[in-house]
Amino acid sequence: MNNIISAKDLKIGYSSKSILAKIDNLNISRGEIISIIGQSGVGKTTFLKNIAYLVKPISGSLSVLGSSLPPTRGEIGYIPQKLGLINHETVFFNVLEGAICNESIFRSILGFHEPRILDKVVEVINLMNLSEKIDTSVKRLSGGQQRRVAIARTMAQGAKIILADEFLSELDDKTANNVWKTMKEHVKTNQITLLIVEHNERRAKLADRCFKLEKEEGMPHSSFKEFNNEN
Amino acid sequence: MKIDKEMLIRKKYLIFLLLVFITTYFVFIDLVDGDWTSLENSLLNLRTFFSESLWPPNWNVFEARSYPTCQKSWDFLCSPAYIGIMETLEIAFVATGAGFILSLPLASLASRNLYRDSIAIPFRILLSAMRTLPSLIWAILFVILVGLGPVSGVLAMTFYTVGYLGKLQYETFEGISKDPLDAAKAMGLSKVEIIQRVVIPESANNLISQLLFMFEYNVRHGSVIGIVGAGGIGYYISTYLKFFQYDKVMALLIVIFIVVVIIDFLSIKARSFFVDDVSFKSQGVISRIFRGESNE
Repeated sequence: MNNIISAKDLKIGYSSKSILAKIDNLNISRGEIISIIGQSGVGKTTFLKNIAYLVKPISGSLSVLGSSLPPTRGEIGYIPQKLGLINHETVFFNVLEGAICNESIFRSILGFHEPRILDKVVEVINLMNLSEKIDTSVKRLSGGQQRRVAIARTMAQGAKIILADEFLSELDDKTANNVWKTMKEHVKTNQITLLIVEHNERRAKLADRCFKLEKEEGMPHSSFKEFNNEN
Repeated sequence: MKIDKEMLIRKKYLIFLLLVFITTYFVFIDLVDGDWTSLENSLLNLRTFFSESLWPPNWNVFEARSYPTCQKSWDFLCSPAYIGIMETLEIAFVATGAGFILSLPLASLASRNLYRDSIAIPFRILLSAMRTLPSLIWAILFVILVGLGPVSGVLAMTFYTVGYLGKLQYETFEGISKDPLDAAKAMGLSKVEIIQRVVIPESANNLISQLLFMFEYNVRHGSVIGIVGAGGIGYYISTYLKFFQYDKVMALLIVIFIVVVIIDFLSIKARSFFVDDVSFKSQGVISRIFRGESNE
């Protein structure tokens, strides 16, 4: 079974009285890049949060990494809209947050990190061309650099699925393209499944498959539709 | 009728103030219970008390105590004023430090964005109960339990600090950005890791600011708890009051006032270094030394 994420008759939202979206059937394979577009409030972020086990589905079945139980430590990398970095901490601190998923909780809490964990942090920071900024606090970095820190965190984590919510918004075209290139290279090399919520339709079409979450007339909730990214 | 309504809306603050004044007046009359004679000579009494008993302050409080014999090079170091205020500062310092360490886990457990209500609410009630009793009442309890002296003072102030600081802390924790929390939860980090690596770093500036505020607060309150025998300068104040040595009490009150002003000043300077609020930020020497030359 190659499906990393499968959803069937899935209803998502924050309460059964106000269902945001309905997904009849969706299968996402390993290593695929999926983009989701749609207007604000249709349930794009909620869908990502469902996959990340931050919000429970209202009904239907959702299987992530072959199970409907929460995934094991480090398997899901979630990059929220504002990246979820600790802004006044250094690049090293933020990337280490991801890397600790690969060591025991006990070691991580006591701060006795294994040398391989620390090496991994330095390695991914170098890969992201941030070695000069390793001790700089995140708030002093540019928008593009901050996104690279977020990617480095998921790389250090060794995530099998990356969920990126409006990851490229607020960036100029050149920076957005560079960040996209870096992310794509990373996920394709490591066979990681990437789900990216995107407002820009042109950029969304760079993914392997594109989905649109939209509300049909007369329907109380929005539904998922695949659209051809060649258009 | 319409005009009257508009007038009411325009004058709502005036009406509110008038209501407060009238209510206060009637409640006061109720408290006085018709016995206005007690107030008749109050101003005269205050003048007599101030000129004959309080002023001038008796600075002998800076002289060494007759017993035990002073072994130090300066008499000042054996004076009640110095010993008292140092003990108060020490009590406040230890109580603030211990209270801070103890309140962090309790505040984390009381945060509704970290734990579900069935866990958070009992811890909120516990913190609330700890600060319901003022430090003076805690001091009386601990004087009964462990006896007179600074240890009961430290315990009393620690209890109150945990309750007070705990509330400030869980409110700060609940106010942090949701994004870093979501990212960490999705990663599968444990609760302790999330608190250690996300919640505390995200609220560090506020936590330090609250810690400094609490120290300043504890120094002020540390002066009071000595009155019930829990150590510090309050112990000497209470002793002088018993022997009607009001001029010495006045001298000690001036000492407390000066120390509190100094701590207040240092605390504002230190807080301005940690808190990222531009309107509050001091551009003084301390912040330049610590923050460096870069402007963010």
